[in-house]
Amino acid sequence: MGLVARVIEAAGIPTVTLNMIWVYQNLVGMPRVAAIEHPFGRPYGDVEDADTQRRVLRAALRVFEQAAEPGHVEHLPFVWHEDPKATKWHPAEPSPIIAMIQQRRSR
Amino acid sequence: MLPRMHEVDPWRFAGGFLKKVLSARIPDEPAYDPIPWAPVRRPLAEAKVALLSTAGLSMKGDTPFDMDFERRHPTRGDASWRRLTANARSESIEANHLHIDTGYILRDLNVALPLDRLRELVAEGAVGAIAESHYSIMGYQGSDTTELVGVSAPAIAEAMKSEEVDLALLAPV
Repeated sequence: MGLVARVIEAAGIPTVTLNMIWVYQNLVGMPRVAAIEHPFGRPYGDVEDADTQRRVLRAALRVFEQAAEPGHVEHLPFVWHEDPKATKWHPAEPSPIIAMIQQRRSR
Repeated sequence: MLPRMHEVDPWRFAGGFLKKVLSARIPDEPAYDPIPWAPVRRPLAEAKVALLSTAGLSMKGDTPFDMDFERRHPTRGDASWRRLTANARSESIEANHLHIDTGYILRDLNVALPLDRLRELVAEGAVGAIAESHYSIMGYQGSDTTELVGVSAPAIAEAMKSEEVDLALLAPV
């Protein structure tokens, strides 16, 4: 997604990327990053938690005004409401690449 | 240097295995070409905003993202893109992505594409306008990002420009 942000930005439209794994910044170089500690699949907040979704959206949009130079990373202060161990985000079965890696390692 | 108020832990939900697999690809120091920069031209309250998700979203009736391709080629992913309407809801979309539980998105689209929330911000005057179209790609591209970067992303940028979008907010899942 960071690569897409670069293309859109290069076309003249400012971008903010709301990102869980914000350390990808070193690999990609995104114009503006809003880093968030939310589980995969629910970057803006949980199901029917309109309040968190609205606050995250506002905070991410604010980064357009906060970022003064390319590569700015803003750490958003949101805390997910469940412990990681209790947070289910995985697909029902491992993705093809993960299954392939696991199979190789078990040999 | 003062300590940061809050630094996001990028691996909090990843688990050890995924952290190991993903972090192996990430350099310790910046290793990218110069970052493109388009200055923000108007305040948020006057800006037209478009959203983009990597959740593999498509409108029902449109061609869904191709998951069989990735099952046949685990190091590759569907690199195409889809246009979504501003009134899209959970009931009107499909979500195809083999790396997350898409069930949450199918219950409430706003967890990944908060169109309802954006409309509320427009209604209260915090945001100027919601774009007619919003966008999705499927985030897992594996070893080859050529088509995503060379074909899909420029097409999305053109579509945004044709609707005079001022700001694009992207969210990987």
